[in-house]
Amino acid sequence: MSRAPTPVDRRIALGLWLATFVVLWATERAVGFTRDESVYFAAAEQFSRWWSLLLHRPATALSDSVITQAFDFNHEHPMLMKSLFGWSQALLHQTLGWVRPAAGFRVPAFAVAALIPALIHLWGSALWTRRAGLFAALSFFVVPRQFFHAHLSCFDMPVAAMWLLVVYLFWRAEEDLRFAPWTGVALGLALATKHNAFFLPVVLTPFGVLAAWRAAGEEGRRVILRMGQVAVAFLGYLALLLVVKGRPELVQSWQPLSPQTFGAVALVAGLIALSLQLRRRDGTAFVRLAPLVAMGLIGPLIFFVHWPWLWYHPVDRLAWYFEFHATHVHYAWTYFNDVLRAPPFPLAYVFVVTALTLPVSLLLPMTAGLLRSGVRCLGDLVPAVARRFGPGGQTEWLLLVNALFSILLISHPEVPHFGGVKHWLPSMPFLALLAGREFDRAVDGLASALRLTARRGTVAGVVMGALVLLPAFTLTVHVHPYGTSAYGELAGGIPGAASLGLQRQFWSNNVTGVLPWIDANSRPGARVWLHEVNGLSFRDYQRNDMLRKDVFPAGGPEDADLAAVQYHQEFREQEVQVWQAFGTWVPSTGLYLDETPQVIVYRRPAP
Amino acid sequence: MNETAHRLRTAAPALALVIVALLGLGFQLQLPRAFPTDADYRAVAGALAAARAPGDVVLLHPWWTERARLFVPPEIPVVGYLGDTRDDLLAHPRIWVLANERLPRTPDADFRRNFLPDRTPAGPSQQFGPLTLTPYRNGRARRVILSAVDALDRLEVSVEGPGGAPAQPCQHNGARVQCPFDATVNVAWHEVLYQPVRCLFVIPPGGGRTLSLRLPDAPAADGLLLEAGIIWEHAWLPGRADVQLQLESPAGNLHLRIPGGHEGLFRGETPSVAAGPWTLRVTTANTQDRLVCIRLRALGGPP
Repeated sequence: MSRAPTPVDRRIALGLWLATFVVLWATERAVGFTRDESVYFAAAEQFSRWWSLLLHRPATALSDSVITQAFDFNHEHPMLMKSLFGWSQALLHQTLGWVRPAAGFRVPAFAVAALIPALIHLWGSALWTRRAGLFAALSFFVVPRQFFHAHLSCFDMPVAAMWLLVVYLFWRAEEDLRFAPWTGVALGLALATKHNAFFLPVVLTPFGVLAAWRAAGEEGRRVILRMGQVAVAFLGYLALLLVVKGRPELVQSWQPLSPQTFGAVALVAGLIALSLQLRRRDGTAFVRLAPLVAMGLIGPLIFFVHWPWLWYHPVDRLAWYFEFHATHVHYAWTYFNDVLRAPPFPLAYVFVVTALTLPVSLLLPMTAGLLRSGVRCLGDLVPAVARRFGPGGQTEWLLLVNALFSILLISHPEVPHFGGVKHWLPSMPFLALLAGREFDRAVDGLASALRLTARRGTVAGVVMGALVLLPAFTLTVHVHPYGTSAYGELAGGIPGAASLGLQRQFWSNNVTGVLPWIDANSRPGARVWLHEVNGLSFRDYQRNDMLRKDVFPAGGPEDADLAAVQYHQEFREQEVQVWQAFGTWVPSTGLYLDETPQVIVYRRPAP
Repeated sequence: MNETAHRLRTAAPALALVIVALLGLGFQLQLPRAFPTDADYRAVAGALAAARAPGDVVLLHPWWTERARLFVPPEIPVVGYLGDTRDDLLAHPRIWVLANERLPRTPDADFRRNFLPDRTPAGPSQQFGPLTLTPYRNGRARRVILSAVDALDRLEVSVEGPGGAPAQPCQHNGARVQCPFDATVNVAWHEVLYQPVRCLFVIPPGGGRTLSLRLPDAPAADGLLLEAGIIWEHAWLPGRADVQLQLESPAGNLHLRIPGGHEGLFRGETPSVAAGPWTLRVTTANTQDRLVCIRLRALGGPP
């Protein structure tokens, strides 16, 4: 079976990309600015100014001090998406004036997010059937939280798209050598999107090595072994340096001419030489290993080149970057009436939250698909299981591992657990794929049981697909644009989740629900305290005409005329402070989603 | 028969998907029936206004259904916080429970276990759309003879040094008592483990010094109820020092300890007490998170 999609499926994928892009753009206006998003807006603007400087005064732009000044802001995250946001805003809003500023920033996020259904369809239709691919693709963005995150100029959905792209290209490259360099490029783009992508080589290396080993002859295996020895030698060398120098000294003393550089260069040179040798002696094995080689060579290169902040101080700034994410602060998070503030976090948290936030009609095929995949992979290890349920194979393992990897990674009790589902979004396209296969099997079964003709089987598939997607679709429409508040039927919807004691919302964007009231009820010059909304977001609401420009941000309830408090279990004190400052516990209005308080607005009584 | 069973088995995944999808749709279609309209809430407010009596309070069930605050007459306090079913609400002889049991996953077991003991219906329930309004006689209610929050201007506040050093008096400065060593006392709303509490908000001095609050002319009572806790997120931080509270009254000494890193209100009650002075001493070695919320009330019998 060829892994290449048919021309029809390519066109369907293109249509899915286009439709998703248009829908996201058409529905973005209502989506509020999350706390991080306004920071990325500001960073994107700042970086686009640097790019402009680069065009006009390249020597100045490329100096260490100017680069540091331009890129120091928000250097917690790499540059790819922020650069795209900035260029897009500069073109679509500043130059052409076609869109409001926020839409200008967000357009690249729509374009990247729209890759997901397209790629899912390409993959699903090649693996199983067009029906499986299409269902899987459509199912992805009728999940309310996924639809919400796809609107944001943030990195969670883009990195999910990049993760899928890398794995898909890797899978294609295992069959077709022409895809290998593109796998490397995709990894580079993924690394340049968000730090999650640094786990991709960890996930894919065993697949590439194992496939190459299986395909290799005796001579090829000797070369692969030597590659392994070189890698182990490098790790040993690095460990030795760590022991001798210690971690801080290892970073600080890393110069162009240093033992560290020698080790890294020796590793890269050794692996390149051995790869070339493998290509000469065992072409079949090389094809399997080529995507990994490309990932190793092209990926880091793109990552380094795309981020000027690294150019003059690569080692210490990279070390800071990894350190920042490895020791990220823990934000409070409510889970079954407990406010989780510090590790260890509950082991089942990610699985439970996934189950409670997915529409149940999609949770079922995803779970069934995951179980089938697990059992089939087990069959590769236990022949009796394979005889009963069928064998797994490399693709099955690839889907299973990628469906579970991000979920299991975040499940680690020491890893930060805030952020709803956004931190394990890279797993979700793979779960959608597995759901697509289950749906396809179910329709096949139905058609067989009812002895339907091919044409009637197709109609049955369409009707059933619409029926299964409908609850998810209605849920998404109902909760939009308040996606961080969404819960599925298993939780009892949004009110059920409130009674269960789950996180009500996060990221402050739900404030859009009360901005029209604030606009209508504020006197000119009023001081407005938008709790949890940072100063940049306040400015963005004003410059996108979502909040009147003649009101001013207040630092807290004490100096505010109006206060809009975001309901978070850990922030109850701040609402009580409003009672104290305003002398009343009676709100003036609020955003109540399905009865649950989300944002509560108080107005200071007239003296 | 085998053929039918085979066909059923083959179609089972599709049937399961369709049934689950229909259940999901059904859930979404019926959910709005659980949501009261503004008119329902206004009718509730009307009923409360018509029947209200001094000391009434409204308790929300489930606790988070706070949209009611928009409508309930402002003179009637509304209680709705995580854990409120355990609240004695002892200042309130009558509790109006505003319940919406049509909402999914309403925590009824918690309500029965923690709220209902010592509470009996004091009248028939009234239905307003999905809302049920039921008055309960609060068997846990007590007469509040005096609350320290109402006596701030009569409090004599000073900082006592370690090792018998002479006390340094604090100054009443409007609504706040300002003391040496950055200690203060005022009356304010604060949150203690999600519960909004109007309390004596005390920042005691650190470094082994003691904040002393003396009420020279307190009345006789069946008992003095002392409740204290660290506010907000300052409570849970691990590694914090304990806060010690020592209440001297004609009934003797009552000692209360707020353990470092623990959330919630800690309580202690004296036996019946004759009229005379009360002195509450607050001490902590903690120099950072010392934000203590204190309720001290002289209680009588049932109202």
